[in-house]
Amino acid sequence: MRNYYKYLLILPGVLFLTIFMLVPIGMTIISTFFPNEAAADTSNYASLFRDSYFLEILWTTLRVSILTTIICMVLGFPAAYFIARMSAKMKAVLLILTIFPLLTSPVVRSFSWMVIIGRNGLVNEALMGIGIIQEPLEILYTPTAVIIGLVHLFLPLTIITLVGVMESIESDLLTAAASLGASRIGVFAKVVLPLCVPGLVIGGILVFVGSFTAYTTPALLGGQQRVLSTLLYQNANTLNDWHMASILAAIMIVVTLIVITCMNLLANKLNPRR
Amino acid sequence: MSLFTLQDVTVAYQKQAILQDFNLSIGEGELVSLLGPSGCGKTTTLRLIAGFLQSKQGKFLFREKDYTKVPVNKRNFGFVFQNYALFPHMTVFDNVAFGLRQRKVSKASIKDRVLRVLDIVSLKGFEERFPAALSGGQKQRVAIARALVIEPDLLLFDEPLSNLDANLRVNMRVEIRRIQQELGITTVYVSHDQEECFSISDKVAIMNKGIIEQLSDPATIYRQPKTKFVADFIGFKNFIQFDSRRQESDGIAATVQGITLYVQQQDNTAGLVGAIRPDDLRLYALDAAPMTVENAVQGKVLISTYLGRSYQYEVQTSIGRFTVNDDAAAAPLANGQDIVLEIPKKQIVLVD
Amino acid sequence: MREKHIGLGIFTFLVFVFLLGPLLIISVTSFEQGTVLKFPPESFSLDWYKNIFEVSGFLETFKVSIYLSLAGNLLALLIGIPAAYALNRFDFKGKALLEGIFVSPIIIPGIVLGFTFLRFFITYYQLPIYAGLFIGHTVIMLPFIIRVVSSSLANFDFSIEEAAVSLGASRIGTFFKVVLPNIKSGIIAGVLIAFLESFNNVDISVFMTGPGVSTLPIEMLTYVQNYFDPTIAALSVVLMIITALFMFFVERLLGLSYFTKR
Repeated sequence: MRNYYKYLLILPGVLFLTIFMLVPIGMTIISTFFPNEAAADTSNYASLFRDSYFLEILWTTLRVSILTTIICMVLGFPAAYFIARMSAKMKAVLLILTIFPLLTSPVVRSFSWMVIIGRNGLVNEALMGIGIIQEPLEILYTPTAVIIGLVHLFLPLTIITLVGVMESIESDLLTAAASLGASRIGVFAKVVLPLCVPGLVIGGILVFVGSFTAYTTPALLGGQQRVLSTLLYQNANTLNDWHMASILAAIMIVVTLIVITCMNLLANKLNPRR
Repeated sequence: MSLFTLQDVTVAYQKQAILQDFNLSIGEGELVSLLGPSGCGKTTTLRLIAGFLQSKQGKFLFREKDYTKVPVNKRNFGFVFQNYALFPHMTVFDNVAFGLRQRKVSKASIKDRVLRVLDIVSLKGFEERFPAALSGGQKQRVAIARALVIEPDLLLFDEPLSNLDANLRVNMRVEIRRIQQELGITTVYVSHDQEECFSISDKVAIMNKGIIEQLSDPATIYRQPKTKFVADFIGFKNFIQFDSRRQESDGIAATVQGITLYVQQQDNTAGLVGAIRPDDLRLYALDAAPMTVENAVQGKVLISTYLGRSYQYEVQTSIGRFTVNDDAAAAPLANGQDIVLEIPKKQIVLVD
Repeated sequence: MREKHIGLGIFTFLVFVFLLGPLLIISVTSFEQGTVLKFPPESFSLDWYKNIFEVSGFLETFKVSIYLSLAGNLLALLIGIPAAYALNRFDFKGKALLEGIFVSPIIIPGIVLGFTFLRFFITYYQLPIYAGLFIGHTVIMLPFIIRVVSSSLANFDFSIEEAAVSLGASRIGTFFKVVLPNIKSGIIAGVLIAFLESFNNVDISVFMTGPGVSTLPIEMLTYVQNYFDPTIAALSVVLMIITALFMFFVERLLGLSYFTKR
């Protein structure tokens, strides 16, 4: 009796997600191989990967995501290290200050950067005011603006993930390393850093995948500069080219799944605690 | 007459049998302990009786009715958990009243019965407290009260004292015994603590690998273990594997490697393993041994350890190694010293 | 290890300036009287806050967003609590696969979900647009509900459930009398987190809005793309206050460790 009871509890959720998510996603991917309800056909993909417009957008998306990931790591790791070593009270305050932007609407956060880096924004006003530049800098509606916005979007996630990992490093380990003669830098390099590697990898996946597929930030800060997600939206809603939109969706899913699988394997492999 | 019987019960977990053709029968009003090392199946047996587990085969008869398929909530057995399992969101009163409310007892009667049972477990005045504000001992009293208040047909304890500190454990077990005797409730009690089981039980079942090795009153188990496992479990540290035994007029003569030891008359008619407690052996320096030594064996001290009240010696003899506790050690024996070991014939128990 | 490292401290401070500065700046500019966003503001007024109510659409879509989050939450709870309970209480064949299915709405890119929802719910399943929005939002809320409820259940001692059954309670009765009251705070926190997730969602909603049907984030997105005045700054402040309140309650209910544990 127990047996079917437990499946009964889980059935509604599985059914719901199957009907409303798994089937639509699966059908979307399958449909990309049947452009004219005829035989299977991969020529769409082939011609897409010869299309220079698409390749340029793909390259921009990849470049933006990779740079965002690197910048998040470079800014996030030291900050997380600092936060993790604070007293409990101070740590709580800093974490709250990190989590707050994380929970704030992405529209609000992208908008705030439009105010700052826009043509008449704060940065240009200030720079022109003190006479460093005569003409306003064109930052908004460039890939740079998108990177700034995405770093702002994903840095909190990076920091809290890394703080979580660093907190799980027992302080006895650090004391032990120091008592065995390691210097402060030695403790960091030989103990803290290796134990943080899985966290860095996981944080990295989250930021990369998030940036690769983010919509709001490039839509607001990228202007005419398309990335994959805005291209997908344009094809689906403006151009009504659902076949192209489906192909783009399939590419995004495949890339996401490949990256997540690879990085999961990597995180396990690099985990020194095994 | 027995209150309940487990008949040829088999319980398996992931294809591995925990209990196989298991039988147990307990009489009305008795307190029976299931005692054994972890993994011996004692908790499984208890959970089977409670109804938390279903047996693959076999029957559970209660007052001669087939209870095998009766669900837990229809059994009217009280269960006391190792970790108390109090409802953290309810006061002591509500915890204890829970079972009565399930039985749709009237409000006035609930109040009356809860207060009465709280009095029995000496927790009067604690009604409005929440479990988080109670000590471990108090929590256990609430758990007992909660199980008692439904006037259960059977009371089941799953290692109830193992989370308490040593002093409290002794007090609580006295308390449990008192309550059980006052109310005359048939009780099954699981523990891995030998002293605890012996001190409160009418009968103890020593379990090992899913079978009951011996079910007797504590004194019998203590004096006359039936099997080597039971003897080992209750502190017979020394075992002699005899080659043969023969009946003599005033006892048994058992032979090992050509040496014959005399053993007093036994109930066990076939056992060839002699079991002796370390406390029951005596040790003499070779040059200071008295004239008459029962079952004397010569040997050498290997290791001597000071235990405070006594010395413990590991000695090597021609018939094996022995552990001896010697509390009369005015002049302790040194490592390597030649000794005579006395194995008093009254103290040898022959087991299977 | 507690000695302060000045350089690291300054670096961290600058990181926080980067994170919070922009939010602070739009908060301040929202009180500017003029029609251009200025920092520091040259005058003080609450005109733009009043304007939130005058721009047609904001109040309307604010309500839509709230109804959507509430309705989605309700369905996600109805589906998610039993699933989370079963996953934590019992052993399953293929448990990892089931858990994978339940977190997949987080892993699959939102924009992809949005597009497939448009294509299937509206075109293929022929659902009304509000129904499509409702189901789409439920899908993305479900993993959060399951995750938070699961972490509450992970701390729940299931022997308490056995105690209740041994005292005569039925299986269902036990769930409502003993399990639910003890995971209440986890459920409330899950609802709050899922609410924010839905309330702030762009990726799903952007595909399922059009003339007459919109959510607040989409309305804001459209407004920002067409106008550039402090109304959005004022609205942002309102949203940030709501966010801060939600964060406060989640912290109260679960502690900060909810956010740092992964």
